[in-house]
Amino acid sequence: MRENRNWSILYIIFAFVLFFPVQLLFAKSVSYGWRWGEIIPTSFSERGFTVLLNDSRFYSAIGMTLLIGIIVILLNLLIAVPAARALAFHTFRGKWIVEVVLLLPILIPSLAVAMGIHITMIRLGLADHWLGVVLVHLIPTVPYSIKILRSGFERLGQKWEEQASSLGGTKAAILYRIYLPQLLPSFRSMVFLIFVISLSQYALTSIIGGGNVLTLAMLYFPFLSSVDEAVIASFSIVFALLPICVMIGFELVFRLVIPYQKRVFLD
Amino acid sequence: MKWFKSNSWSLALLPAFLFTFCLVVYGLFMAAQESVTTLNGFSTDAYKKIFQNEAFLDSLTYSLRIAFVSTTLSLVLGLLLTKFLFETLKNHLARTMVWLPMLFPHFVWGYMMILLFSQTGWFSTMLHAMSIIDSPDQFPVLTNDRYGIGIIITYTLKEIPFVVLMLLPVYAQLNRDLPNVVKTLGGNKWHVFKTVEWPWLFPVLMEAGLIVFAFILAAFEVPYLLGTTYPKMVSVLAYEWFYQGDWSKRPESFAVMMTVTAIIFGLLVLLLSLVSRSRYRMMKGNGM
Repeated sequence: MRENRNWSILYIIFAFVLFFPVQLLFAKSVSYGWRWGEIIPTSFSERGFTVLLNDSRFYSAIGMTLLIGIIVILLNLLIAVPAARALAFHTFRGKWIVEVVLLLPILIPSLAVAMGIHITMIRLGLADHWLGVVLVHLIPTVPYSIKILRSGFERLGQKWEEQASSLGGTKAAILYRIYLPQLLPSFRSMVFLIFVISLSQYALTSIIGGGNVLTLAMLYFPFLSSVDEAVIASFSIVFALLPICVMIGFELVFRLVIPYQKRVFLD
Repeated sequence: MKWFKSNSWSLALLPAFLFTFCLVVYGLFMAAQESVTTLNGFSTDAYKKIFQNEAFLDSLTYSLRIAFVSTTLSLVLGLLLTKFLFETLKNHLARTMVWLPMLFPHFVWGYMMILLFSQTGWFSTMLHAMSIIDSPDQFPVLTNDRYGIGIIITYTLKEIPFVVLMLLPVYAQLNRDLPNVVKTLGGNKWHVFKTVEWPWLFPVLMEAGLIVFAFILAAFEVPYLLGTTYPKMVSVLAYEWFYQGDWSKRPESFAVMMTVTAIIFGLLVLLLSLVSRSRYRMMKGNGM
C-alpha cells in the first residue's frame, strides 16, 4: 500500500513539474494563432518547424554543437577517469585539499574565468575557434565527471581489480574487461550530463567563440526576442532531442566496444 | 621525489590538476589582474567605483537574494522528496524520471516558465477561464519581475533533481539498524532524523547547497531571459560592461566578477570550517 502511495506522489510531482510544461511547449510548437484566453490552441500548423528546418544556419549550428559536445565528453573521460580512480582507491594526507581544488571549477564563476582567459585565447589563436570553446566548456563539466566516475569506482571497490591481477590479468585487460562494463551506468550518466551542460552554455560560447562559433544556444537567444512563439517552442524541443540522439549514439558505441553488458538504460 | 616513486598513482591526478591550474586558476588570476589594471598601471579604482555604483549594489543584493531563496527551496524540497520517496527511487524507472528534467538546458526551462507564468501565460488563461480575472494585466507579474520570482521558480525546479541525486547515495548507505536502536530507546521519527540521518546528510547538503548557490549567483542565461532591466543579476551586468564599446568599463566588469568569486570563496571557507572532516565525509564523491 505504502509503496503504491509513494508511486502516485512521484507521478503527480512528475506530471506537474515535467510533463505539463513540456506538453505546453509541444502544443505551442504546433499551434497557430494561440491567443490569451484559449486554454488549448484552436488551430494547428507545422509552420514553427518548417521555419526552423528552412534556416541553413540551423544545420551548421547542430553540427557545431555535436562536434563541441562530443569532444568535450571525450576530453572529460581522459581527465576524469584517472583522477576518479585515484580519489576512489587511495587515501593520503591532505586529500580534502585535492578534493576542494578539483571542485573549484564549478564554484568559481565560469564567466570570470572565460573573461580572464579571453586575451590569452586571442594570443594563442583559440578565440573565435571551436577548440577554444571546447576548452572553456571543460570548466563547468570536469568536476561533475570526476564526481560521477568516482562514485562508480567506489561502488565497485578494489577487489575486482585485485582478483583479476592475481589471476594474471594485465592492466589493459582489467580496464577493458572489468572497469568498462561495470562503470557503464556511470559513463551513461556522464555522457548525458556533460552534453546537456555543453549544450546550455551561451555566455561562455559567446565570449570565447566571439560569434564565429555558432552553436544552438548562440542561435536560440536571438530567436527569443522574435515574436514568433511557435518557432521558439519548436527550437526549444530540438534542445531535448539532441541529447537523446547523442545518448543513442554513445549507446551504440558502448554496445560495440564494451563486453558483457547488462541491458539497462539509465542508472 | 621518493614520495612520488612510492605513490606513482598520484600521476593519475595530473591531467585534472593541469586542467584546473592552467585553465581555471590561470583564468581567475588574469581576471583579477585585469580588475586592478588601468592605463596608468595598478589601481583599485574599479573596486572603489563599483562599490559606489548603486546599480551594482542593487544588482548584488538582488542576486544574493535570488541565489539564497532558490538554494534554500531546492535543498528543502530535494531533501523532502528524497526522504519520503527513497524506497520508490530505488526503481530504475523512477530514477530515470528524476534525471529527465535535466534533459532541457536551463534557459529552455526559463522559456517554459514564461509560457506558464507570464501575464499572458497559461496559468493566467486558466484563471480567466475560471472567471477569476478579466484581463492579462490582472495576473501578477511573475516573469521579468522586480523580485526575480521567475528566476527563482526556474532554478528551484531545475536544481531539485540535482539535490535528489546528491542525497540518494546518502540514504542508500545509511545503516538500516540505527533507526531501530533509536526507537528501542524511545525516540520518535524526529529523533531518528536528527541523530541517524542528519549527521550524514549535513555535509552533503552543505556541499550541494554551495554548488547550487555558486551556480545561481553567477548565472547568466536564465537571468538574461527572465530578468528585468533594473536591477540586473551580477553576471548580466558584468557581461554588458565587458562588451561596452570603448572597453572603459572592462576593469569594473572584472571587479564585479572578482567580488562574486570572493563571496563564493568566503562561503567555501565558512563551510569547510563548519563541517569537521574528522567526523563527516565532506566533499566525498557520491552518486553526484
